[in-house]
Amino acid sequence: MSTITIAWIALPFFIGFSAYLLPKLSRLFAFFVALASAGYAFKIFLEDSPIILQLLDNFGVTLAVDELSAYFILTNALVTIAVILYCQDSDKTYFFYTQLIILHGSVNAAFVCADFISLYVALEVISIASFLLITYPRTERSIWVGLRYLFISNTTMLFYLVGTALVYQANYSFSFAGLTNAPPEAIAFIFLGLLTKGGIFVSGLWLPLTHSESQSPVSAMLSGAVVKAGVFPLVRCALMLEGIDPIVRLFGVGTALLGVFFAVFEKDTKRMLAFHTVSQLGFILASPLVGGFYALTHGLVKSALFLIAGSLPSRNFKELHHQPIGTAVWIAAAMASFSISGFPLLAGFGAKILTSKNLLDWQVIAMNVAAVGTAISFAKFIFLPHGGKANVQPGFWRAMILLLSGLIMANVLYYQAYTIDNTIKPLITIAIGWSAYNLIFQRIVIKLPRVLEEFEHLIGVMTLMLMSLFWMVMP
Amino acid sequence: MLEACVFATILCGFFGIIAKKNLFMKIVSMDVMSTGVISYYVLIASLGGLVTPIVDNTKDVAYADPVPQAVILTAIVIGFSIQALMLVGVMKLAQNNPTLEHRKVEKNNTP
Repeated sequence: MSTITIAWIALPFFIGFSAYLLPKLSRLFAFFVALASAGYAFKIFLEDSPIILQLLDNFGVTLAVDELSAYFILTNALVTIAVILYCQDSDKTYFFYTQLIILHGSVNAAFVCADFISLYVALEVISIASFLLITYPRTERSIWVGLRYLFISNTTMLFYLVGTALVYQANYSFSFAGLTNAPPEAIAFIFLGLLTKGGIFVSGLWLPLTHSESQSPVSAMLSGAVVKAGVFPLVRCALMLEGIDPIVRLFGVGTALLGVFFAVFEKDTKRMLAFHTVSQLGFILASPLVGGFYALTHGLVKSALFLIAGSLPSRNFKELHHQPIGTAVWIAAAMASFSISGFPLLAGFGAKILTSKNLLDWQVIAMNVAAVGTAISFAKFIFLPHGGKANVQPGFWRAMILLLSGLIMANVLYYQAYTIDNTIKPLITIAIGWSAYNLIFQRIVIKLPRVLEEFEHLIGVMTLMLMSLFWMVMP
Repeated sequence: MLEACVFATILCGFFGIIAKKNLFMKIVSMDVMSTGVISYYVLIASLGGLVTPIVDNTKDVAYADPVPQAVILTAIVIGFSIQALMLVGVMKLAQNNPTLEHRKVEKNNTP
């Protein structure tokens, strides 16, 4: 099994560079790599014990693959396959697919590594590959958005490196477990890097602009899989080290509320989805133990919705109210929205129940508020008028069928959730959310200032976060 | 003392990223910051000894720790490639914004 693991990690990079030599086969290659990841994830689900690989000595590369990683890997694989299917008939060149393969591979690497330096390398390769995908259209705006993303992630990764050095100094090893012996400043530096990279709380406010201004397939990839590469190590650390767990849960609650607060007032489809991603990452962090399943359902829904938003006639909800969208597209959007709101019969229901069972007492109220906020945000999609003519790419339906059938099938994974008590609660949440939307939020127009999303403030917030993190981890 | 200098370099770089108005200068400041981080790794490697870590049984000396040095090589390469990528991006942006003032670029490109 360890040989398979190593071969599987190396495969995307090997194939990614071969795609440069055989440009005609690049799409097929990308498809094959993503399928291999899906197969590998299923293989991990069948394993009894986690696979732990220690290559070289105690300072070498450490890999740990367990069920939690398998959920994240499966998410990444499904989202990538959907994006490839969506782009099948477009004029994307081999360069796009090559970057997609490399991005897919590095995200996978981030999901299996268990030491800080391998994680650093994976995260930096993710930055570069995402930058190249964001700037694929070569317009001035895309270059600025990509540059901003690369700048922020590289600055924050420098802080992360300082933290890693401190961990090494304390343990003579880079493994995650060393965080317990490390001084508090090491934890603060490393967490700053991971929080910013994963788009959590105020340091994650670079995310909405980046995700909303990219092309739809790229946004789907970024929101569905790539941000989780920053979140996964936080979940891993929270599960491994007891002292870290409350901090991670606290950030989960904070980011869930912050993201949903912006999402409720947002009038632009893609920006709303991006803010909502910030909030959903909070749900993953709020109960680290079951974060994997939540990440899977969120990845499927969010990539489906980004692809749908890309094929709607307008990005503004107000304009969409005057232009009926195609009924079939509406059904797809409604299914995804129902799932994320936690409606029974779709995977989002099981994930929400599982998460709420693992919450601590002090988290419950805040997370219920966030769940109502989710229902309000997605009522915007559900109450769109339909019956018009759908104008979608041919690949659109193939991607939708994959993602939505994934939602239905994942539903079976946690069938124990279907009790009467469990079923009533999300229905009440949705009812409150929808009535709040129809009575209040549909009518009011509040434009929240974007001052926190300016480049200088994003960098400045890092210092504030660093100080508050330091204050939080001080014994 | 050396540690203080290293952290001063990191902070100077970070301050430059915030204070400089020109995008190009911001990238240069980021390079200063990454130089600071790299020297911090070198400093940690040299805490145990200064001799190049090539084992020589005839001498009894304190060797420098090879691991941080090996690790930081990767980070140098990554930092360098990101720098190159960012400079290309800035070159493209400079065609329409010759002053490269980040506020102007940001204003032109935010919806």
